[in-house]
Amino acid sequence: MQKNSNLENVLRGVAITAIILFFMFPILWIFLMSFQTNETILRVPPSPFFEPTLTNYRSLISGKLEGSTATLEIAFMSNLYNSLFLSVTSVTVGLILGVPAAYAFARLKFRGSEDIAFTLLSFRFAPPLLVLLPLTIYFQQIGLADTYGGLIWVYQLIVLPLILWIVRGYFEDIPADIEYAYRIAGHSFWATFRKIALPLAGPGIAAAGLLAFIFAWNNFIFALVLASADKQPVTVGALAFITASGINYGQIAAGIMLSIAPTFALALYAQRYLVEGLSLGAVKG
Amino acid sequence: MSDVMLDLNSVDKFYGSKGQGVHAVCNISMKVMRGEIIALLGSSGCGKTSMLRMVAGFEAVSRGKISIGDREIHALRPVERNVAMAFEGYSLYPTVTVRDNIAFALKSSKFSATDVAVKVDEIAAMLEISTILDKYPSSISGGQQQRASLARALIRDADLYLLDEPMGQLEPQLRTLLRGRIKAYIKERGLTAILVTHDQTEANALADRIAVMEDGELQQFASPEDIKKSPANIFTGTFVGEPPMNVFPARASISEETVCLRLNENIDLSYPADAFSAELRASLAEMGDIVLGVRPYAVQRRDTGSLATVVVNQWLGDQSHIATNFAGGSLVLVEHDRTQLSEDEQIAIYLEPSDIHIFNSKTGMAISHGARLIG
Amino acid sequence: MSLELTNISKSFKDEMVLDGVSIQVHEGKTLVLFGPSGAGKTVLLRLIAGVIEPDSGQIKISGTDVDGVEPEDRNIGMAFQNFALFPHMDAHANIASPLTAQKQDKSAIQSGVQTLAKLLKIDHVLDHKPKELSNGQKQRTALARALAGKPKVLLLDDPLRNVDAKLRFEMRLELPRLLSDQNTTVIYVTQDYKEAMAFGDEIAVISSGVVQQIGTPEDIYLTPANIEIARLFGDPVINYLDVTVQKDAVGIFALVSDKRVDLNSGYARAVGQDCSLGIRPESILFVPASHPGAVPVTVEAETPLNEKTVNLCLTARGREIMASRPSGTVGPANGPAFVSIEAANVLIFDKHTGELIEPDKFY
Repeated sequence: MQKNSNLENVLRGVAITAIILFFMFPILWIFLMSFQTNETILRVPPSPFFEPTLTNYRSLISGKLEGSTATLEIAFMSNLYNSLFLSVTSVTVGLILGVPAAYAFARLKFRGSEDIAFTLLSFRFAPPLLVLLPLTIYFQQIGLADTYGGLIWVYQLIVLPLILWIVRGYFEDIPADIEYAYRIAGHSFWATFRKIALPLAGPGIAAAGLLAFIFAWNNFIFALVLASADKQPVTVGALAFITASGINYGQIAAGIMLSIAPTFALALYAQRYLVEGLSLGAVKG
Repeated sequence: MSDVMLDLNSVDKFYGSKGQGVHAVCNISMKVMRGEIIALLGSSGCGKTSMLRMVAGFEAVSRGKISIGDREIHALRPVERNVAMAFEGYSLYPTVTVRDNIAFALKSSKFSATDVAVKVDEIAAMLEISTILDKYPSSISGGQQQRASLARALIRDADLYLLDEPMGQLEPQLRTLLRGRIKAYIKERGLTAILVTHDQTEANALADRIAVMEDGELQQFASPEDIKKSPANIFTGTFVGEPPMNVFPARASISEETVCLRLNENIDLSYPADAFSAELRASLAEMGDIVLGVRPYAVQRRDTGSLATVVVNQWLGDQSHIATNFAGGSLVLVEHDRTQLSEDEQIAIYLEPSDIHIFNSKTGMAISHGARLIG
Repeated sequence: MSLELTNISKSFKDEMVLDGVSIQVHEGKTLVLFGPSGAGKTVLLRLIAGVIEPDSGQIKISGTDVDGVEPEDRNIGMAFQNFALFPHMDAHANIASPLTAQKQDKSAIQSGVQTLAKLLKIDHVLDHKPKELSNGQKQRTALARALAGKPKVLLLDDPLRNVDAKLRFEMRLELPRLLSDQNTTVIYVTQDYKEAMAFGDEIAVISSGVVQQIGTPEDIYLTPANIEIARLFGDPVINYLDVTVQKDAVGIFALVSDKRVDLNSGYARAVGQDCSLGIRPESILFVPASHPGAVPVTVEAETPLNEKTVNLCLTARGREIMASRPSGTVGPANGPAFVSIEAANVLIFDKHTGELIEPDKFY
């Protein structure tokens, strides 16, 4: 056993390196591309050595996409802002609605509670297109099409089941006796929810919120169908890079870097909660 | 083949990194004889479970050697050690019935299917789980799972049987019944077993010898009777025994005619000098400060003597436990009939020299038992 | 009457957990709920606490029906078997939680917590989070929290179960005094008959959701209502031998080891009946062969048990009986011996129903 340990360590190191290369290489390559012009990107053979340029980022931020033949106006920064606004608001609304609901599903076993919880989860099963076509018509009739409010509403289909099921698992993990003890000590139901259940499920709520944010950020199809240009998030807006006159890979790469930056930063910051939240909460739920 | 079944030689276990890690097991050496039942007794976190897991092979030994018979096993994988273990946390296979769980260890062996069935039925009857053999682990109670896990370990043919808190989840009455049966089962077959427990009643009832552990160190390794009569230090004295031993700091003064043990300014225990051996008197005179211990059942009530004030008197049916205020501390007496004593009543206490244990006040090590120096 | 339960029933799904339980506790008294696990003791506590609702029956606290009253308004304190401390609050905040609920001012909370913490010897760890406390300290913190609000009714759910033997013993001596000083009505749940005997002004023995017997520790130990209860109290357990009660010119008797054991003449009505003779191990005394009524047995084994020596003996008919005596007293370690069984220390149970047959008084 002890003799093996050196060999084991070497093998483990090799395996880890392989996995890191496999997953990180595309990101690294795109990062490098975002500092290059189309010419250096497309040269054969490709090389990691080049003269870095900031023109891609500059044109994205200024909103002027310089194609090979003409200059195109794009709203990349406003797309980025839309993404941020839609995701943050959706998650906030999702948490406000989802956390108390998750608590109810975890603690108050009422008639049909399991069915309702499952129905909510089943929103995730159906392909979004199935819901989208009728929704588009309804939204147009009630005036919600192409509004932030309408989008946030639809985003709840993504965000709410996720929050509900992860947070519910967390609430169920809190021994009921701890909450009973607080109530018997003389505190009301709501005080117990705020002072005991919420803080103890804190990591789970943070993880669920984070994951919901990433899912909302990465959403494409809802916004594509339901939003017009000025409400579009960055995922839809990125289509503009594919122009009739060609594809500017450097600018796409820079756009990708900018659009994954917020989720990347968040995920790095809250990695611990995320892993813990997923492995604890979701398994139980 | 030697008669030593299990030999632990200077075994250490560290957890965590050097410098800030935990020294869970400190330099423990002990030998377990073939056919012996050993109890590792201690409170939670004393290192007893780490010890057992090292013998089973679930934890690596940080330092030292472990042998079973003539085989050195500490570098072997668990399956190669030929030990059977019953887990505290049951750990039954959830997808098969209790019967198959128990029979699992015999599947690959030489026994025919009918032999296996007979053996399973026999051990299930012994552990009172015959009625649940065809159920699945998830549908039986914690106590039943624990007994199934115990059955799965005991049915195997192994050199060594490791039982980790095997009866922790059982009801007191059932525990008493099973203790006797398990002991008889192990003894009839001449098996060697190590039992980890925090329950001294269990250790006393089952074990030939008890290893008392605390803070990763072996405090004493002796028969239940020896531990009771001659505890090696204050820890063993106050840990083993129910109710625990009474201890008081005291100061010894020795003259030609008397030995005087002063507990505080009001209470002197005076004895004629010849009640204590000459060697003990000499070392008492030298030390002065000591710790005096006396078992609750050895505390006597007389018409005259040092006064104690009754705090509570609890009748438990077959015994009375009386707690008193004595010499600024608490002194507990056990009497075997129903004692009529009420709160705040004063009683006169007498301690027989032959019932007194004396410990070194600095090291806590025992100096004398029953007025005779150790050794 | 401080606490009055009338005909409480509760089932979970199809399983009847409590079936018509009625219990009364006087102000300042301690009632012990004693029984095997699964008997419904914990459910009963939770019903009193108000965290679950009974299917039927009435609970009165200080004369008021508490049906529909929320747990926080019932003026009770509760200590849980698993402590149930708030993991994100330090010991001080844990103990203070009933006081903050009562909206007491800061200095009152401070002094309330300090007093209790001193009494329970945890004043030096008040700033520790639960996970930094030892088991014993956790248990004391949970107890302090239960006591802090000066509740009318205190519910203790086997609070000593998860602490080690030494601490359990210390608390067994300390707790009754602490509780009587607080002058609250206590319901104490335990599986340990010694705790039940030590704490209870009265003991209610529950099994399978039914109260089997309520009485003082003395009642329960000396006149258990049935053989099951007799077996639950006492260590080692009571011996029972199948006998037929007989009568001749001298009096009422039964045969043990083919020898006559005289019985109280009040058992005349049991003559001819198949009975179980219940004899506590401590009532079996070793005597010389010449002792009148000496019963021959064979001593098989000797084991020490909590300051007692227990002998396993076989009767002439091969039945196992246990005899116990104080450690240090002399007795036979093995081989043939004689025991005496005193009429006054014998219990007689109906063999079929297990019910106690009490002797008629006027003989």
